This record gives sequence, structure tokens and C-alpha cells, in this order.
Amino acid sequence: MATSPQRAIELALAAIKRYERPDLEQRLHQARARLADDQVRLLVVGEFKQGKSMLVNGLVGAPVCPVSDDVATAVPTVVRHAETPVVTLVRAEGRTEVPLEELPRFAAEEGNPGNRERLLHVEVGLPRPLLAEGLVLVDTPGVGGLSSVHGAATMAALPSADAVLLVSDCSQEYTAPELEFLKQAMAVCPNVACVLTKTDLYPEWRSIADRDRQHLADAGIKAEVFTVSSTLRWHALQTGDQEVNTESGYPPLVTYLRKKVVAQADLLARRSTLHDVLTVIGQVVDSLRAEQTAQENPESVQQLIRELTEAEQRAAGLKERSARWQQTLSDGVADLNADVDYDLRDRMREIVREAEDALLAGDPQKIWDQFSVWAQQAVTSAVSANSVWATQRARWLAKKVAEHFDSDREQMLPALRVGTSDPLRSVPELAVRESDKFGIGSRLLTGLRGGYGGLLMFGLIGSVIGLTLINPISVGAALLLGGKGIVDERKRITTKRQNDCKVALRKYVDDVSFHAGKDSRDMLRGLQRDLRDHFTTLAEQLKRSLTESIQAAQKSVKASHGDRDARLAEIKTELAALERVVKQVTA
Amino acid sequence: MITDEVRRVLLTAIDLYPQASEVLRRQLVRLDEPLRVAIAGKVKAGKSTLLNALVGEEIAPTDAGECTKVVTWYRDGPSPRIVQFPQGKSLPVVRRDGALEIALDGPADRLVVDWPSQSLRSTTLIDTPGIASLTTANSLRTTHFLSPEDSPSEADAVIYLMRHLHSADANFLESFRDQGVARATAINTVAVISRADEIGGGRVDAMISARGIAGRYRADSSLQGLCQNVVAVAGLLAFAGRSLRQNDFMALTALAALPREELESSLLSADRFVDGSVERRALLNRFGVFGIRLAVTLIRQGVTEPSALAAELVARSGLLELQKVLHTQFGERRHLLKARSALLALDGVLRAAGDSRLTGAVERILAGTHEFTELRLLSALRSGAVKVPDAELASRLLGDEGAHPLVRLGLPRGSGPGEVGQAAFAALQRWQRHAENPMLTRRSADACRVLVRTCEGLLTREGARPPR
Repeated sequence: MATSPQRAIELALAAIKRYERPDLEQRLHQARARLADDQVRLLVVGEFKQGKSMLVNGLVGAPVCPVSDDVATAVPTVVRHAETPVVTLVRAEGRTEVPLEELPRFAAEEGNPGNRERLLHVEVGLPRPLLAEGLVLVDTPGVGGLSSVHGAATMAALPSADAVLLVSDCSQEYTAPELEFLKQAMAVCPNVACVLTKTDLYPEWRSIADRDRQHLADAGIKAEVFTVSSTLRWHALQTGDQEVNTESGYPPLVTYLRKKVVAQADLLARRSTLHDVLTVIGQVVDSLRAEQTAQENPESVQQLIRELTEAEQRAAGLKERSARWQQTLSDGVADLNADVDYDLRDRMREIVREAEDALLAGDPQKIWDQFSVWAQQAVTSAVSANSVWATQRARWLAKKVAEHFDSDREQMLPALRVGTSDPLRSVPELAVRESDKFGIGSRLLTGLRGGYGGLLMFGLIGSVIGLTLINPISVGAALLLGGKGIVDERKRITTKRQNDCKVALRKYVDDVSFHAGKDSRDMLRGLQRDLRDHFTTLAEQLKRSLTESIQAAQKSVKASHGDRDARLAEIKTELAALERVVKQVTA
Repeated sequence: MITDEVRRVLLTAIDLYPQASEVLRRQLVRLDEPLRVAIAGKVKAGKSTLLNALVGEEIAPTDAGECTKVVTWYRDGPSPRIVQFPQGKSLPVVRRDGALEIALDGPADRLVVDWPSQSLRSTTLIDTPGIASLTTANSLRTTHFLSPEDSPSEADAVIYLMRHLHSADANFLESFRDQGVARATAINTVAVISRADEIGGGRVDAMISARGIAGRYRADSSLQGLCQNVVAVAGLLAFAGRSLRQNDFMALTALAALPREELESSLLSADRFVDGSVERRALLNRFGVFGIRLAVTLIRQGVTEPSALAAELVARSGLLELQKVLHTQFGERRHLLKARSALLALDGVLRAAGDSRLTGAVERILAGTHEFTELRLLSALRSGAVKVPDAELASRLLGDEGAHPLVRLGLPRGSGPGEVGQAAFAALQRWQRHAENPMLTRRSADACRVLVRTCEGLLTREGARPPR
């Protein structure tokens, strides 16, 4: 049995207590806090009426998500672990707890049509073993055609998810939008699995599953496919019938979630904790070793001190703004800012071009309703694609900087370093900034709503202008007058409308670009700040360790022979104790 | 009669535009043919199943996977015949277990199936490949067929199937909504919530939920401008009911005789029910989980005759409702819809020729035919472009629920001419009053005048006398 990450931290904390290094202890405390907060977010997505909510209910064995024959889920429901069942409503203004039985009133379309309550999401806490392992299930509202506004919000939530379950029922094979969505999801999320639901209802589910696997293979998507029946699972939960439970297809899915999704995240957590523990102990050991060397060979102390001082200066240099990693970071962020901005502008230009062609093709008044919806959708999906892409690039940059930093450190401590290091492990979880969890999508939407309201108003003006044109009286007048005059007039008005619409469209796209640009710049600035803080702290710890080593070495010069022997023996036992801890932790 | 007028204009047009004579002649022939109704929808929406249910025979092939790959016409004919286009090649007619099997010979762009059937006599049904298909070519074929960019649509009316309203559905309906001369929108489209039995997970009360959802969609303003009506239909059940055989009935009776618990446990899932048995599998394929549950419940409740069970299944599937809607929306307006298609085609020719000699004649038919005016107003009311007081009465008066005077006036069946006259006169006065109401906008007042004209028509047509 391997030592749990929590236990490893305890051991390390106990071991370094006597060296009075609050900075290192702080680092371990942070690691512990991160572990406690460690969650695996599982996003359940799909078109509506595919059985997403039933799937979540089946997984946790409680009716937490509203289920109905009609469109049911109004807002995302987040199901996480809690000692006692609890329901929390999360609004932009804050959180309120409500009694359990009031859940449907807020989460269901029936009680909260079109999200009248303006909730960001609903949180449900449940005492369940699966959830206690850190799994958080997110039930999303159904997506009608994955390019709709809802769909864009789902896309924006993707990068923050640890795993995605794409739910679709066995009544038919994958449709084009679903496969498209899968491809995008694969690009930003490490774990994507497909769940085919309602096997109880469709006798042909096996052949559908085979076809879907074929479609996935054709599209080059490597994702596991699970076939489940929530009805059977529910029946099994109520009657305790194990046989039915096996038939429901849930056990393999639960195993997958446990063994693959949770365990993988766990492994990641374990690795990064271990990395922290080993580095912390390593720094203490380094100091002790330096002292040991100095005590053993007093003649070479000066040499050692020189080396250490140089190393310390290099470590101090790391904190400077001129350090290489700092440059990589600031250059990278500047580049990224420019690229993201360009990408957004490019996408928007494409939309404007296409839209203007459509507007010029005819009288904009006739198509305005559909047109404004289309424009809104196109702009939304462009913005979300842009933000997904920006997140991907930002992660890449973070890795780049970490590599830099690590190689700097390797150079700096040639003789004394023990153990290997993996630069990727020290990258903090940057992409999942708490405020962004549902932020990008919903903030974007409110931005759009504002813009859209303006458009609607404009559309109304348009219809007022057009009023005299289409009523039958004027058609009759046209016939009487021979048609010529009215045709010219109609043309003039159409051109005017086309121009008005173009102006409205450009203004709208401008507004959205402005807000989206601000969002992405904020995101990048946050990233830069996080990375800088993280690595500066590391540099500081390193410098402090080296300073301690130097002090120890200098002390040894002054020490008497007897003291030296005693100190050597002490160091030996201390080193042995630390090594024991390392062994225990890595076992 | 509007058909005669349209025919006259078409004949004149053929003389004037010899270069387009083929297109116009086709329209001429089409005027005398049955109404063409296309069945469209997303992949696996149940289009072929519904077509089979409407015809009552398994002539459209169905499968678990995507099945219909070519636009297929089903029309009445003296003997069964399948012709594949563009080659014009006859294909062998093969039936297996009552199901028609069609094996395509080379690439095809459309199939025409002649089939002797009462149901096809007044309407030609057109089965289309699903939209949002993974095979883009299939999707495109449908989109092109129903809303071709350069020529008027081949279909006079559309039954649009959807399982739930997706944005893809709305886009499609919008593209079908025509921009042409008749300017009437949504008058030739009926939306169907298909596979309605699956909505509630196949529970016995699934159809009630499905009807509720259909009702909600009917009231949804975004759909009102796109289609005439929304109906929930369980296509599989309807077809099973229409083609119920004695041995099906025996098998179902045997099932009903099983102990309740045993049956319930085996009906938990399709796999459990089949359990390796070939007969049960066949039964399940024909009825679906919902169909079996419903049939067994009905038999337990005392249905003892196959014919009674069949009738009950068809009634519960929502097929009758659909047929009624099709009759009032399409059947009764047959001439109008066909005339409209022909005028659309003619308008296209006129535009292409850039000639205005016949524009006046076309415009005269469109503006002068009161039925067209009624349709235009009806669709304007539905889309909310025009508002009148008592909108519901107005829609009914315009023939939303049926063209018959009794239906329009909301009178019970069998009312005499005196009552019709009385009601029509009352309606006339109501709308005259509204038309003169200075508070109404000009468009609304115009709409009221159209309604007045309709009332006048009712009064004269029925020979009904206003009350003294």
C-alpha cells in the first residue's frame, strides 16, 4: 500500500520541522490545501432529451437532476460530495441554500423557464462514495444543435473539465454536429467517453453502438463507448437486484470513472504532491550535505562556499525581472495577446463578410429575424472557439516557462542535486481559474444579450419603416400606377435598410469583440501573474536553502575538532531520517 | 375556379415563352395530378415509418441505421412498379414478409414507386433522406429537393417530422418557408412530433406527455410562423395497428395471459423481453416496447377482437389526428396549394425572362382570389405580423381548422342554413365593427376587412339568408 499523498505531506512536515524553514512548510501546506480542494470535474453533455440527467441520477443513485418527458434541465447542476444532502443556488451575486425539496423549482425548465431565476448553476451535495473520491458531476442543459448559444457555453466550459461524457441515446447513430463536438472536446479535454443511453427501449442498440464505434474510428476519435440503461439501473437501485444492475451497463461506466478518470486525476495529484515533498526534503538534504562535506574536508570549505555563493547568486538572479524565464513569459504573453486578438478579429471579419453578402442578397427586413439569430450564434461560437484556442495556447506557454525554469535550476546545482524532476509536474493548474468555471460562457452571454437587445430594437424600427410597403392596399396601388414608381421606391428603401442593417451588424460585432478581447486579455494577465508568483516563490525557496547551506559551511570553519565529529554524527542521523521519509513516501 | 384561371395563364405563358415550355407544361400536368406531400425531417426521425403508417403497407424500407438514401416518390398506380431515375430504369418489385425491398441499380437521384393504394389516390407521398446526416450528400439531396435554389419546390406541401425541436429543424423549416409570389408562409407545412411513444421512455402514458409537448410547440411563437400545426404521432404503433395480423394478436394475447410480475420484469428492457426468442424479437420490431405494453394493457382491459385492438392502437397512436389535420390543411386546400405551386413556377419563368407581360395576370390571380388573401392573412396572424381582436375566432373563420362553413363559424355539425346565416351575419357585424374601430392600426383594420369579405362569402355561398 503506497503512502497517501496526505500522509506523505504529514511525514515531510514532521521531518523538516526542526530546520525552521517556514517557506518550505508553507509550500507543503499549500500542497495539502490543493489536495483537499482537488476535484475531478466530469461534464455531462449532449443534445437535449438524450438522458443526461437520468445518467447523473443513475450514477449517484438519487433523483438530483430533474427528469421530464419535455425539455427538463434549465441550468447546469453540479453534484459534489457533502456529508449531508444540501442544495445551493449559485447566482452572480452570491450563494443561497435552499431546502432539498425545492430543487426542481430551480433546476427544472418547468419551475424556472428560460432560467428566469438567473442562476449560474445549482449545486447539490450528496454523501456518496463515488463523489467522496473527488468526482464532481456537472449536468448541463441540453444543447439543441451543438452550435447554438447553449452549445457555445458548453464549449467554453470544456477546458475546465477533467473529463467529458457525451450522452446520446440508442435511437440513432451519431449525427454530424455530435461528431463535430466530440472532435473539439478531444482537443481540449484529456478524457472523453461516449455514453449511449436507453438501451432498454431500443432492441437494435447493439447495431447502433457498432455503427457509432465505426463512425468514431472513421473520424479518428479514440473514445470509449458505454451502453447503459438508466431505467434498469433505477430499477436495480430500488429493488437491489444485482442481475438487473449488471444488465443496466452501469458497472463498467462506474469502473471507468473510478479507475480511469478519478484514478488518473489522483495519480496526477499524487505525482505533484510527491514532487513537492521530494523537492522540499531535497532542499533540506542539500543543506545538510553541504555542511557534511564542509565538516569532512575543512580544507575545501572555501571552495565549497564559493560554489554555493555562485549558486545562490544564480538563484537570486532567477528572481530578477531579467531572468530568462521571466522574459519567455512576458514575451509569450505578449505574443499570445496579439495572436488571440488577431484570431478573434479574423473570425469576426469572416462573419461580417458572410453576413453582408446575405444582407445584400435581398430585402433585409424579410430575413431579419432569422438573420439576427444566426449572427448571434455565429458570433458566439466564434468567441468560444477563440477562447478555447487561447486556453490551449496558454497552457502550452505555461509548460514552456516551466521547462525553462527547471533547466535553469539543473544548471545551477550541478553537484548537490539528487533525484529527477519532471518540469510538467510543477506547472500549477492554471487553466481552471475559479472565476472562469462558468464565467466565460455566461459573461459572454450577458454581453450578447445587451447587444442583441439593441438589434431587436433596431429590427422593430425596420418593420415600422417597412409597414406601408407590404400591405395589400399598396400592392393594389402598384397595379394601378403601373408599378414603375413603386418599384423604384421599393429599391431605394431596400438599399437604405441594407445599409442600416450593415451598420447595426458592425456595431454589434464591434461590441462583442471589445468584450471578448477584454476577457481574453484579463485571462492572459491572470495567467502571467499566477505563473510569475509561482516561479518567484520557487526561486526564493531555492535561494534560502542555498543561503542556509552557506551559513552552515561557514560555521563549520570555526568549529573545533570535537564539535565537528559530533556534528557529523548528527548530520548522519538526520540525513538517514530524511532518507527514511523519502523511501516511505516513494514506496 | 382558380385551377382554370391558373391553367389559362399557364397556356398563355407556354405560347409566350417557348424556351420554358417544358417547365410550364409540367406545371400544367401537375395541376391535375394528386397533391404532392413530402415527408421531411432529421435522420432517424421516423419518416419512412410514418409513410408506411399513412399508406398502411410496408412500402418504404425501414432499418435501425440510416436507411432512406434517395428521394422516393410513392404514388397511386394500376400495378406495382419501381422506376429509378435519372436512368429511367425499371427495378424488380420484391416483397419479403410484406415489406417492399428496393435494391438500387447504380447511382440514383430519385425513385418513383407506383403502388395501387387508396391512401395514395389523392396525395402522392414523397420520402426524403434525413437532414443533419453524417453523409452530407444525402442531406443535401433533401435540402435541394425541398428548397431548390433556382426552381420552385417540387412538393406542394410538407409534413415535417421532428423528435424534439432542434435548431437544425428550425433552420430547415425556415428554408422551406417560401419567399416567392404567394407570400404565404407556413400554410403548407405541418409539423409532427414523431416517435412520440419514446418520449416518456415507453411508458403507457407516453402519448399524453407527447400531446402536451405538441401543444406547447403549437403555442410557441417561433414555430407558429413556420408551420400550421403540430401533432404527436407514434409512427411505429400506427403502422402496427394498421397492419395488425391475427398471429400478432395471438402473441399479444398470450403475453397478456402471463402473470403480471413476470411480464413487467421482462418488459423492463428490450433485451430482457427478447431473451433469444425469434418470435418475440419480431413482435418487438413491429410494436416497440411501448406498443407491446399498450397492447397488453388493452387486452387485459377487455379488448378481445383483433379489429378492436387495431382500431384502438391506431387511435392512440395519434395517426387519426394527423390524418384529420392533413385533410383540413392540405386536402381541402388541394386546389389552392397546387395553383400556388404552379404560380410560383410561372413567377420564376417570368423573372428569368425579365418580362412583365404576364405579371399583371399573375398578380390578378393572387390579389383577386380571396382564398389566397385568406391564406396570407392567416399566416400573418400566425407569425404575429398582424394582430386583430379575437384572434382565435379570426383564425377559425379563415379556415384554420377546416374550410367548411360550419367549422369556420364554429357551429355544431348538421346546423341548418338558417343557423349558418345567423352566425355568419353576427360574424359579419362583429368584423365590420372592428374594421371601423379607429383604435386599430391600419393593418389590423385591413385584416378585419378581409374577414368581413369572408363572412360575406359565407353568406352568399350557402344561400343562407340573414335573419330578418
